[in-house]
Amino acid sequence: MKIDREQWQMVIALLVVGVVCTLLLATTNIFTKAPIAQAERQALMNALMQVLPEHHNDPIGDTRDITMDGDKKPTRFYFSRDKDNTINTIAWQVTAPDGYNGSIHILMAVHPDGSINAIRITGHKETPGLGDGISKNQPWLDAFGDKSLNNTRWAVKKDGGDFDQFTGATITPRAVVKAVKKGLAMFTKIKSKLLKKAQQQTEAQHAMP
Amino acid sequence: MQCHDPNEELVNQKAEIFANGFWHNNAIFAQLLGMCPLLGVTTSAENGFWMGAATLLALVCSNLTVSLIRGAIPANVRIPAYITIIAAFVSIIEMAMNAWMHEMYLILGLFIPLIVVNCAILGRAEAFASKNTPINSLVDALAMGSGFTFALVLLGGVRELLGQGEVFGFDIFGADYPDVLMFILPPGAFIALGFILAGVNIINRKMKARKDKQAAILATMQTADLNTAEVQS
Repeated sequence: MKIDREQWQMVIALLVVGVVCTLLLATTNIFTKAPIAQAERQALMNALMQVLPEHHNDPIGDTRDITMDGDKKPTRFYFSRDKDNTINTIAWQVTAPDGYNGSIHILMAVHPDGSINAIRITGHKETPGLGDGISKNQPWLDAFGDKSLNNTRWAVKKDGGDFDQFTGATITPRAVVKAVKKGLAMFTKIKSKLLKKAQQQTEAQHAMP
Repeated sequence: MQCHDPNEELVNQKAEIFANGFWHNNAIFAQLLGMCPLLGVTTSAENGFWMGAATLLALVCSNLTVSLIRGAIPANVRIPAYITIIAAFVSIIEMAMNAWMHEMYLILGLFIPLIVVNCAILGRAEAFASKNTPINSLVDALAMGSGFTFALVLLGGVRELLGQGEVFGFDIFGADYPDVLMFILPPGAFIALGFILAGVNIINRKMKARKDKQAAILATMQTADLNTAEVQS
């Protein structure tokens, strides 16, 4: 088969368009990479500031990654420390896969004794006006404070638990409560390992000036 | 009416392109194109505005580029070439929004990359930019894009007003307003759009009636002129 002149023109035209567009994209990527990382860091920082108590370290730089059984990706734990360097709160992100409309991402901050400091919703696609109360209804979020596995019935009131559901939306709060409970249970399991490693890490940091 | 001043003619031509793109040929009101972002993101006026602005920018870049290279692309491969160009610009806009407007980027989410398949943009590349000069294509893109933004802000504003009693986040109806949830939910988008389209049709009919009337008056005047001319001769 011979390629005639017309066909060469098509090949060259598409090739040039493709190469120029790729170059444009690569250039944009170079220029936006740092600002994107900065924006994401800022968003995470803002969320962390809301769930963590007063601290004297940089929680974003004070982390530990642990891969749970059955998880593909590791979970990142952020440590918040007092002035004397003891850990007062640990924050990490959990995902409720069974929201009304896709996954709900939750940032939870827990004291070493297993009681919750605060939780925030960092991402969801729940129905505006109904399920999205999980991210807007401050009293509902505040109800998680000081709750731990032992002192609370981890279900919505409709299911005989301690947490309010919303009018017209039960699935969303139910998913959040379930995910936070699961997070607490996981924390109990890995607590000793996690805290030990975090302590070692600090000692290592102190050891190498 | 004849224009003898070339400048005036040029301005009239651009104005006509703009009026066509913004109103008579409006992607939403007249062609009903781009419904997916329209119904998806217009839960508030602000969301509608930024979605419209991103689309406007993509449209301006793609129209201008397509018009500039319109002689160099063989007709057989023009569609893949246009789509590649549009996709590149949309990706650039997406990265820029992610970097400098992170919060709005998170709200609009998937709808930003979906601008690539907004048929209004490919439609303008194919129907206008591939046949017209860069300047005219730019005017067309600005008109089409601002018309699209106008439609999104209008629908977003109506839904935000009825659904939450606010517009652009400003409280209009006061705290006692019982939020009509339905207008924030998808059915409200369809209902509000239906009423807006009905309103647009009423305006168009009135405009046409006025034009017909003027034409009729002009015609009678011309006949009268002819009659006088005949009498004089």
